[in-house]
Amino acid sequence: MTRIRKKKRHMSKTAKREERLAFTMLLPAFLIILIIAIYPLFTVFRDSLTDKVFASNDPVHFVGLSNYAELLSINIKELPPVIDQATGQQAIDPNTGQPLYQRPIDVLPREPRRYRELSQFSLFGKHYVIGATEPDFINSVKDTLIFTVVSVFLEVLLGLGVALVVNSGFRGRGLMRATMLVPWAIITVVSARIWQGMLGPTRAGLFNVILYGLGLGDGQTAFLREASLQLPAIIAVDVWKTTPFMALLLLAGLQTIPTDLYEAAEVDGAGKLRQFISITFPLLTPALTVALIFRTLDALRVFDVFQVLLSRTRYSMASFAQDQLIQYQASGLSSAASVVIFVLILIFAVIYIRALGVETE
Amino acid sequence: MKKGNTWFLVSLMIIVATLTVACGSSTEATSTAKPTEAAAQNPTETASGAQTPTETAAGGEAVTVRLLSGAVGQELELTKASAQRYMDAHPNVTVEVFDTPDAVQDRLGVYLQYFETKSSDADLYQIDVIWPGDLAEHLIDLNQYGADKVAAEHFPAIIQNNTVDGKLVGIPWFTDAGLLYYRTDLLEKYGFSGPPTTWDELASMAQTIQDGERADNPDFWGFVWQGNAYEGLTCDALEWVDSNGGGTIINTDKVITINNDKAAAAIDAAGKWVGTISPPGVTGFQEEDARNMWQAGNAAFMRNWPYAYSLSQGSDSAVKDKFDVTPLPAGDSGHGAATLGGWQLAVSKYSNHPDVAADVALFLTSRDEQKIRAIKGSMNPTIMDLYKDPDVCAASPFMCKLEDVFTSAVARPSTATAPHYNEVSTAFFQAVHSVLTGDKDAQSALEALELDLQDITGFQTGQPQ
Repeated sequence: MTRIRKKKRHMSKTAKREERLAFTMLLPAFLIILIIAIYPLFTVFRDSLTDKVFASNDPVHFVGLSNYAELLSINIKELPPVIDQATGQQAIDPNTGQPLYQRPIDVLPREPRRYRELSQFSLFGKHYVIGATEPDFINSVKDTLIFTVVSVFLEVLLGLGVALVVNSGFRGRGLMRATMLVPWAIITVVSARIWQGMLGPTRAGLFNVILYGLGLGDGQTAFLREASLQLPAIIAVDVWKTTPFMALLLLAGLQTIPTDLYEAAEVDGAGKLRQFISITFPLLTPALTVALIFRTLDALRVFDVFQVLLSRTRYSMASFAQDQLIQYQASGLSSAASVVIFVLILIFAVIYIRALGVETE
Repeated sequence: MKKGNTWFLVSLMIIVATLTVACGSSTEATSTAKPTEAAAQNPTETASGAQTPTETAAGGEAVTVRLLSGAVGQELELTKASAQRYMDAHPNVTVEVFDTPDAVQDRLGVYLQYFETKSSDADLYQIDVIWPGDLAEHLIDLNQYGADKVAAEHFPAIIQNNTVDGKLVGIPWFTDAGLLYYRTDLLEKYGFSGPPTTWDELASMAQTIQDGERADNPDFWGFVWQGNAYEGLTCDALEWVDSNGGGTIINTDKVITINNDKAAAAIDAAGKWVGTISPPGVTGFQEEDARNMWQAGNAAFMRNWPYAYSLSQGSDSAVKDKFDVTPLPAGDSGHGAATLGGWQLAVSKYSNHPDVAADVALFLTSRDEQKIRAIKGSMNPTIMDLYKDPDVCAASPFMCKLEDVFTSAVARPSTATAPHYNEVSTAFFQAVHSVLTGDKDAQSALEALELDLQDITGFQTGQPQ
């Protein structure tokens, strides 16, 4: 399209013919992309504006943006304190010793849609509750973002370490490079099942056996069911799986750095760390950029680890969309969730391209 | 802008629009063709046994039908063996058996994907007792294909459950009801005269046995059951609630009854088992997790379906000959409750060979085949007189002894809430799960649940009778 935006310049007949030929040759590839990528995307956009029911012959109605409203509506209400009639002061919960407030279920609006409790917070001495019509979705966005940031950070760090090690010459380097790819090569569902066994909640699970043997914990830690341990467990599985991929991309980048630079630096008296900061890291930036973009966009779309390990207890954005489709047969809501994922990924992609200065014509 | 540019963009719009319209209408065209085709074919007489080879497959033309079957325990091998017997009797028919995910909702996901595309890739589906209402629009009426001759042999309640708007959409294959498995040797060792009859008794017996066994076996727990957030938890929780007089979530008169004190008490009691007599990880257990623990000898009591009986009697089981089964304990209501499970065989209306598929379905659910599954897999037959069969009673004495449990099992509110049963069940098990994990107390969870159910179904609320 940039070509068309250029100022009109005088084109010879041959040039014009070549241009038409170029269009004609590109047309089949463009049609294929249209059918495989653009058309499905278009149907998702279209379905997100309807109340379509999956696997059903029910008639479909256009409902505008109400699916998006249902996904993203948030309401904040104040929770007034419960006053103890006897003392005239705020009541204290006898079980927990905490000050007592009205229950969110009595305060949050119910018409036209019910707002469910998302979380509570205090500000300037007053207590508030955040309600959402679809708290599972809001939580899934938050969980996916946390997952993305932490797992990509760890993968870059560990991937860089692995790449630097494998880059240096040692015996068995070829074999090492092959075996390091094994976690990446195993299908995610299969490796997630293996991890599920290892993360087992009783002493049939490997981690519980290890922790118990080291004297930490009672051997009954339910890694996949305790809220504070779920995300770390998922992140661990994903980092294990994807570090080889990052290492491979970064290794390719490392190999493009000419070795005489290092020799020159040695001669000048630079230490290993200085070499890394001044030579390796700056020259690795293009490969690092590519690796970061790949992994961030992949991590935002995460589905299989959440689906296999956490199923219906905690969602990622993609597994939420799938759940809506299959369990509730809500094609419209599911498509709207997919569009939200799409928009979020688009935002990240644009940020990366701008911040990392990737060249566009 | 160049003129060619506008032309290009316009043609792009036209292509997209044409593709949308063309692809949309073509799927409708093919889908309407299939049902009329199926109705026009001559439904043939089929016997329930394998004696009469059918001529439906156009006299020798090779036909392949595909069956999507469950693979929990020994299901898949038994189904494949049955299919082989059919193929031996009908050489021109190939029956391919495919396994599907163990978790019921994942299996439903697979089926819905087939139905969404109106696919003819699968002909026979093993459907749960709670699905006939939801899936009826995609299934054929088996009464048109010979099922009406054999329907009377099966339990009338199940046939009625599978009949939607007069169509029999599923032929019953095996029935299920929750049972309490208990270790007879441990009960004797700790001086108990018999299995518990109330939930409180179960809790105290489990605690005593667990405390005693922990000396030798630090992995021993008193009671294992299904606590993961999935349909199985709806089954377990319904048993606690109904046996305590808390109703059945939504009753047959379409009244939401779940928000009451007895239901809250039952669920709170179950929440207290987690971490005391049941492992903390029980909130992630499904059927096979509980069975694995039980079969390794690490549990005194287990709530599970009958399929676990023959596996626990297997040669590699640590509890062989050391256990028995009994109806689940009672609560305040004075009677125990067992959730009705069970599976049926259904034929998709998008199948290319509905008559052959229906014939296969009737064969697989015939008396001889159900008898084999009862003896080898302890899968409860749906044919009533098999409960008086001497071979069946010899292999699985509990089946004949506990016939009442199977006939009086409590059904989940799937028919009353169709087509929203999935949403109702999900709301229920998520509410129960939040109590089991300690996130909420039962009263708040049930209040929120009542509002959720009102949103989903639009029913009124009330008290259980």
